[in-house]
Amino acid sequence: MRSGRTWHDRHLGYLFVLPATLMLVAVLVFPAFVTLKASLTPEGGGGWHLTLGHYQKTFHDPVLLQTFKNTFAFVAWSLVGHFVLGLSLALALNQALPGQTFFRLIALIPWTIPDVIAGIIFRWVLNPIHGALNPLIRMVVPSFPAEFQWLSSPTMAFPSVIFANVWRGYPLVMVMLLAGLMAIPRELYEAAAVDGAGKFRRFFHVTLPGLSTIILIALALDMVWEFRRFALVVTMTGGGPGTLTEVLSTLVYKTYFQFFNFEYASAMAIMMSAVLFILSLPYIILVGRER
Amino acid sequence: MKSSVAGSERRERREDAAISYSLLALSSAFALFPIAWMLSTSFKSEAEALALPITWIPKQFTLQAYSEMWTLKPFGLYFWNSIVVSGVTALLSTVVGALAGYGFSRFQFRGRTSLLAFFLATQMISGVLVIGPYFQVLAALELYNTLTGLIIAYVTICLPFAAWMSKGYFDSIPKELDEAGLVDGASRLQIFLRIICPIAVPGTVSTLLFAFLLAWQDLLWALCLISIDEKRTVTLGVAFLVGEFVIKWPMLTAASLIGSLPTILLYLFLQRLYVEGLARGAVKG
Repeated sequence: MRSGRTWHDRHLGYLFVLPATLMLVAVLVFPAFVTLKASLTPEGGGGWHLTLGHYQKTFHDPVLLQTFKNTFAFVAWSLVGHFVLGLSLALALNQALPGQTFFRLIALIPWTIPDVIAGIIFRWVLNPIHGALNPLIRMVVPSFPAEFQWLSSPTMAFPSVIFANVWRGYPLVMVMLLAGLMAIPRELYEAAAVDGAGKFRRFFHVTLPGLSTIILIALALDMVWEFRRFALVVTMTGGGPGTLTEVLSTLVYKTYFQFFNFEYASAMAIMMSAVLFILSLPYIILVGRER
Repeated sequence: MKSSVAGSERRERREDAAISYSLLALSSAFALFPIAWMLSTSFKSEAEALALPITWIPKQFTLQAYSEMWTLKPFGLYFWNSIVVSGVTALLSTVVGALAGYGFSRFQFRGRTSLLAFFLATQMISGVLVIGPYFQVLAALELYNTLTGLIIAYVTICLPFAAWMSKGYFDSIPKELDEAGLVDGASRLQIFLRIICPIAVPGTVSTLLFAFLLAWQDLLWALCLISIDEKRTVTLGVAFLVGEFVIKWPMLTAASLIGSLPTILLYLFLQRLYVEGLARGAVKG
């Protein structure tokens, strides 16, 4: 069909993809290599005298270790929250009930708030003296401490940040799952009902298998995003108290732009990216296979 | 027999509806409560926002915070910067992404598959990995503290999505249209501009939206690349309000709400398109 291709035609493809490729190389790939090199350069050093010293240091850095743990917990709990809320709301919204559009729009609202601002919202809601949550809890549980310090409490600061991130992020998982639910053919449910399958069997034998791909994709995308989440933490706690709510993005940012420890920040950024790459390998393979 | 099946089915459906409605009501409260609290605070005076016990609904309804954000802080300027940055980012990334998408869709050049994978892989690069060197390059080019430096970064971040999305869209347009153009003696670029682009316009909506929202909401790049007040974007301006020694909560909440307004409206109007695009770009490519 396309036998009449000329030399011209074969090389024209490059011209079309050139601008985008150049920009990606200049803005993302080249700086990534500069960071890689910086991570191997002794502090204040230059040229090609390389060292693994910064990486050795990362293995004995309690703050970095804590931050890695925080980030994993942040990602894992956020994903669990997004999935549980997202799936149950998607199932509820998929029943074509009266008022469905209204509830759907309301459920979407947290998604429309930039995460910088979601952080501010929760900082204000959780404010120990002037915030809304403490009085609200005390209406139900009068014995609750009047000025509970959510964001400076060593035990509650981190769960509070995760809670805010669950609030901010469940709608996207919800809409993706809802789109997946709508794509499951009605006939499958009807056939299962004729076969006498109850509600739960239909859920496990029709709904979940029909959703499995979209669940994987939604959670994989969500994982990549939550792993890099930055602004929510910056405006909500700034990483504190201490380093209890520090995540990798905020730690690398601080080390580079506030402590000007470029080489060490670079080593941390490289490690962070390596971990993210390994975590997202299954997704990359999956997408590659779909193609 | 048949009627009993129908009866139990009806009962089951009523149960489902009851569970769904309670879940939806609870989750709506969960979704709206923090925003309602922001809204309430933004209509209070500063004294009332800090008064004890707290008031759920402003006793004295005032628009003071909504006027102060434009006079005490240059939010008009911040908005203008955000609109310029987000608008230009949306347009440029869509155009450059569409060029690449067309190239991937219509030409079988060597290295095409690897290049496609490369585009996908760059999406995994996190901002903090590259922002330090990018910052230094901008400083050397005297593009630090300019909206241009910010726009170049945002456009690039959006390109993989834009290219994959538009490739998917071009794939759905029959190749026979191109071939008809070739027969008529049009050049490849003419075909792209005159025949394919007009058809592909609806397919660009999700890319435009994705890029606009990414640029509007970003904090990391703006924080690292902008240090002067005149060039701040809305999100950066709001973030700096939190950092101030004494936080004026009514003004901060008012600015937060107004700053979210464009994204709230865009998401709610265009959510379907956006999600379809996301799923399409992610699944099929």
